[in-house]
Amino acid sequence: MTLVMVVDDDQDLAEMLGIVLTGAGIDVDLVSRGDEVMEVFRSNPPDLVLLDVMLPGLDGVEVCKLIRAESMVPIVMLSAKGDTQDIVMGLEAGADDYMVKPFKHPSELIARIRTRLRRTNADVRGLLTIGDLAIDVTAHEVRRGAKLIALTRLEFDLLVALAKEPGRVFTRDSLLSEVWGYRHSTDTRLVNVHVQRLRSKVEHDPEHPTIVITVRGVGYKAGVVGAL
Amino acid sequence: MWPQRSPRSQSLAAKVIVSTVLLSFGVVWLTGSALYSQLSDGIKEVNLESSLADARSVFYNARYQFLLVEGATPTQIQTQVSDVIASSTSLGTTDGAREIILLKIFSKGDSAKNGQQPNYSFASNGLLATTIPEDLRSKLSKDFDLSHQFAPLTYRTGKTIDALYVGQRVSIPDSGRYEMYLVFTLANQGATLDLIKNSLLLTALVLLLLIALITWLVVRQVVKPVRDAARVASLFTQGDFTQRLQVESKDEIATLGNAFNEMATSIEAQIRRLENLSRVQQRFVSDVSHELRTPLTTLRMAADVIYGQRENFDPLIARSAELLLAQIDRFEKLLQDLLEVSRFDAEVAVLEPTDFELIALVRRCVADLGVVLDSPESQISVTAPGTPVHIRADFRRVERIMRNLISNALDHSDGKPIEITCVETLTEVAISVRDHGGGLEKASLIHVFDRFWREDPSRSRTRGGTGLGLSIALEDARLHNGELDAWGAPGEGANFVLTLPRIAGNEISGRPIPVDPHKRSEVKNGTI
Repeated sequence: MTLVMVVDDDQDLAEMLGIVLTGAGIDVDLVSRGDEVMEVFRSNPPDLVLLDVMLPGLDGVEVCKLIRAESMVPIVMLSAKGDTQDIVMGLEAGADDYMVKPFKHPSELIARIRTRLRRTNADVRGLLTIGDLAIDVTAHEVRRGAKLIALTRLEFDLLVALAKEPGRVFTRDSLLSEVWGYRHSTDTRLVNVHVQRLRSKVEHDPEHPTIVITVRGVGYKAGVVGAL
Repeated sequence: MWPQRSPRSQSLAAKVIVSTVLLSFGVVWLTGSALYSQLSDGIKEVNLESSLADARSVFYNARYQFLLVEGATPTQIQTQVSDVIASSTSLGTTDGAREIILLKIFSKGDSAKNGQQPNYSFASNGLLATTIPEDLRSKLSKDFDLSHQFAPLTYRTGKTIDALYVGQRVSIPDSGRYEMYLVFTLANQGATLDLIKNSLLLTALVLLLLIALITWLVVRQVVKPVRDAARVASLFTQGDFTQRLQVESKDEIATLGNAFNEMATSIEAQIRRLENLSRVQQRFVSDVSHELRTPLTTLRMAADVIYGQRENFDPLIARSAELLLAQIDRFEKLLQDLLEVSRFDAEVAVLEPTDFELIALVRRCVADLGVVLDSPESQISVTAPGTPVHIRADFRRVERIMRNLISNALDHSDGKPIEITCVETLTEVAISVRDHGGGLEKASLIHVFDRFWREDPSRSRTRGGTGLGLSIALEDARLHNGELDAWGAPGEGANFVLTLPRIAGNEISGRPIPVDPHKRSEVKNGTI
């Protein structure tokens, strides 16, 4: 069964989240302090982490960095502030997605969690190339030559989404719907931050990208081998 | 922006120096002239007295010598006259040149006698009798005593010189009466006076230069702290509240410095206090946000779970679950709007511009509000240019403005059609939302953007608006440097026009759509 770690200092909200997730058939591990997360995380590794930004003990953004240092598990930040700065900080610390409290519908939360747990490119099999990178979709591996590049699941999905249709220019909206599973969202910050994180891992020179290429005014597309 | 040598302090120093020098010049001139005239008077008096004493002894000697030759031969008399003339020029103590004139007086009506007598008239250096002032001659004819007068002495060469004429009548035996003049040239006295004058002028000049220098030094001493104060005040104005004047002395300047520093400290404290208040306010908003949102999230999820089970409840509880969820929705919206308003109040609202297409956004807003577009029955019609309208603005805010305007129009349309019109120019875009509902009173227009304002307090909000929508929309528009205008007339409905610069933050140069719909026909590049 799927296990989700819920990190929130509000006991009632944590319990309510537990009820809703359990009702959806998901196991829940509740943690109320930031500095207790890593202990629980190591002893009982979850499939996904729901992480509040404001936490006693250790800040949610810091917790996010600690988790990322050890694991590529999907992280969804919960924020009571809709301010860009908090969201961008969370995303830059390694969160895959975020949700602003209060959620529009609890079902939206469940949908997000399921999207993050599901393989978004389940139809793609075998080997893909993007730029000078080789992607083994089945083995969930990205290599440059013999060198293995570690990516989070979301970064991997983003790369695969671009690589499977090399000629296509993806708008930020279409990436949001294909990778994040948003029906219609326009929060392009999510895409921008993750493209930047992805570039910092796969590009030779993130300032002059050759793998994930910006198409000005439209979005992104996959780099071609010859373009190197 | 360094006020190192501001023209004002420069001119202050110059002004003080110029006026001090001018006043000193006046004082020096007055004292100098007084001193000079006193000195010259004194010198002239001393000279006059010694000259008169000389003249007296010369004339006395002449009269005595002429008495001695009473009854002598003409040759003896001639010799005696020559001796007297020779001794006259050397006798006495006064320095400098002196001339002698001996002039025979011809008595009228006695021509025979005049012709017989020998004439011993004489003038040294060939002086002419005309040089003798007439006044003195007439005085001599009346007075037997010594007479004198200052007058210029003219030589035959034409040279003129200041001189003192002293004259007396003398008698020469067998020849009659003579006017005898001693002329003392004042060249020496003039030279002395010139020397005094020149020294005085030189002294005055040096004195004035010294005064100017001293004034400059003093003024600099006074002006420098003033300049320092100006520089510090200017830095203070630029926001460096730590700036203070250095107070080194205990004079008036120090008093000024201390007063300035006290003022600066007080202002700094006030500003720190206000900054602190503002920080507290922002912190409070942030805290409220967190503290309210978390329980609201729990509430929302709980209500949702209950709502999901409503088929299992009896109708009253099921309806309660529906109402609960609806009110939580409304509460959430209100909280969101309140937070937005407090962000505007705290001036922490930040514009996040991106490039997007406006018409698609408008259409989606309409669709999100549950109105079907592009069908003959649809209540809302959108008129826009045939080509996409790309702008650079804060997507979230523009979307919120449009949502607010459209839902406001729906609230007040009474089911009548609503027209949305979009017009673009080179520099701005405008969208009008026109309804044909009950409209607005002229007096209400100024309140339309007020928070929680309702035209008719008894009227309910059919779409659950928070009462903050239009107020936020106006703030959102202004954050872009745009404008939101309202028009309304009773029975004619209302018209709201949003005008935005094509690139957020630029100035808007006009209103592509006038807010009064009756003027719409005047716009040429309007709808297509």
